[in-house]
Amino acid sequence: MPLKNTNIVSAAQTKFGKLDGITLREMFSEAVDSATIGFGIPKKDIQAAFIGTFIPEMLNHQGHTAPLLLDYAGMKGLPATRHEAACASGATALRAGMMAIESGLYDTVLVAGAEKMTSVSTNRATEALAAAADDEFEASVGLTFPGVFAIAAVAHMNKYGTTEEDMGLVAVKAHRNASTNPFAQFQKEISLEKALTPRYIAWPLKLFDCSPISDGAAAIVLTSTEKAKEYTDLPVKIIGSGQASASMNLCDREQLTSFEASVRASRTAYEMAGLTPKDIDFAIVHDCFTIAEIIASEDIGLFKPGEGAKAVREGVTAIDGNLPINPMGGLKAVGHPVGATGVKQVVVSYKELIGEAGPNQVPNHDTAVVHNFGGTGASCVVNILRRADA
Amino acid sequence: MSEKPTIEKYKQNIADGDFKAFKCIECGAVIAPPSGSCYSCGSSSMEWTDVSGKGKLISFTVIHIASEEFQEEAPYYLGIVELEEGTSVTTRLGGYDPEHPEQVVLGTDMKLGYEKGKSGNTYLCFSPI
Repeated sequence: MPLKNTNIVSAAQTKFGKLDGITLREMFSEAVDSATIGFGIPKKDIQAAFIGTFIPEMLNHQGHTAPLLLDYAGMKGLPATRHEAACASGATALRAGMMAIESGLYDTVLVAGAEKMTSVSTNRATEALAAAADDEFEASVGLTFPGVFAIAAVAHMNKYGTTEEDMGLVAVKAHRNASTNPFAQFQKEISLEKALTPRYIAWPLKLFDCSPISDGAAAIVLTSTEKAKEYTDLPVKIIGSGQASASMNLCDREQLTSFEASVRASRTAYEMAGLTPKDIDFAIVHDCFTIAEIIASEDIGLFKPGEGAKAVREGVTAIDGNLPINPMGGLKAVGHPVGATGVKQVVVSYKELIGEAGPNQVPNHDTAVVHNFGGTGASCVVNILRRADA
Repeated sequence: MSEKPTIEKYKQNIADGDFKAFKCIECGAVIAPPSGSCYSCGSSSMEWTDVSGKGKLISFTVIHIASEEFQEEAPYYLGIVELEEGTSVTTRLGGYDPEHPEQVVLGTDMKLGYEKGKSGNTYLCFSPI
């Protein structure tokens, strides 16, 4: 049965990038103000908050972030809970908010995410990110996040003939889309030649295959169908949702060319929505690395296994293609403040679905699939979003 | 080999250059790295087992940008090797030139060894036979 009661009635983000002089709580507060006051939703209507942050303990010496952030944003006193699932923290916060609405416990809740990552060195940030891998058996051998996806890339290249150039084309597309997105960390197109500059991070992944280290926050307001009418004529509904987990260790996976949690979460979400991948107009997928977009597009059923790269080559996933992927620029070019990402993906989906994505507007925008992926692929959340009037 | 295997001892064995895997007492499945329950039958009864040390290369990367702890060792090879006994481990790879990863062939037969890194840690390190 499709979900019926979860409506997104506002969605906002801060700019993503290296935001000097702005702390975690200030970014969070800015996104929350935009998603509440900015949409004419009084903060006093919010009954609870679900907040995604990944690892402020290592990045900012700060734990217990939910009450801290909510207090700074002027909503002290409400139930405030932090949700952590590495890069899928935002989407797990969203699912908690969704369940709170669907259960009838609350009418209106805030879902938000934030991360401040640029206040530490690149090696320290790499170490913080590596904490989302199994420390005992993989991180302690020297595996990094780019390393995880590099190992998947090598397996995919070997099995399907995917090339470094294919991955470069994902980066070129991301930067082209982000060039007209004012919230993006990189608002600049790059050539394929530049994307293929051999500055290896984890071979075969190069600098331009990797999403950057970023600061940023995003927030949305969820409310019941009854209450949604008070805020907007055109809410966006979450009609299907799936979440799955897998082994933390890459070496324990059945295969490396597909992430099983993505497959499982997406099947659950489609089934709940009563839809198939053929019903999808555009997709927002977790392109923390270029290869991750290619594999995700296969795992969530948009293309057959091994055909994700071909879709990129043929322009199918371009903004004007038959099945646009990441039309605002994805994590790759917009930035990846980890805890904010899963919420930001919903922010851009919302804008596209209601037709307010400006130069980044996709032509068909009734139904979207949103894929948020955590860590080594040990967590995945997939949601199906649809305009309420579709 | 009747003691209950632990993660601490698993890592100590690697540090001592004496790698041993977990083995499910119920069904005989060989498990490494350790798991609290058997991937084949779900049992949590485990014992130690020796392995042949032979395996095949499943995939790999060369890490150039590492965590602070390992940056001095970069660039270094990391790979996944499936042991003859059916389980796979994430391991350092030896015997390859970090500047020429295109020469590495998946499916290559590998043998178990060890490497002491500048970080002071001793890693599993498989090399082509």
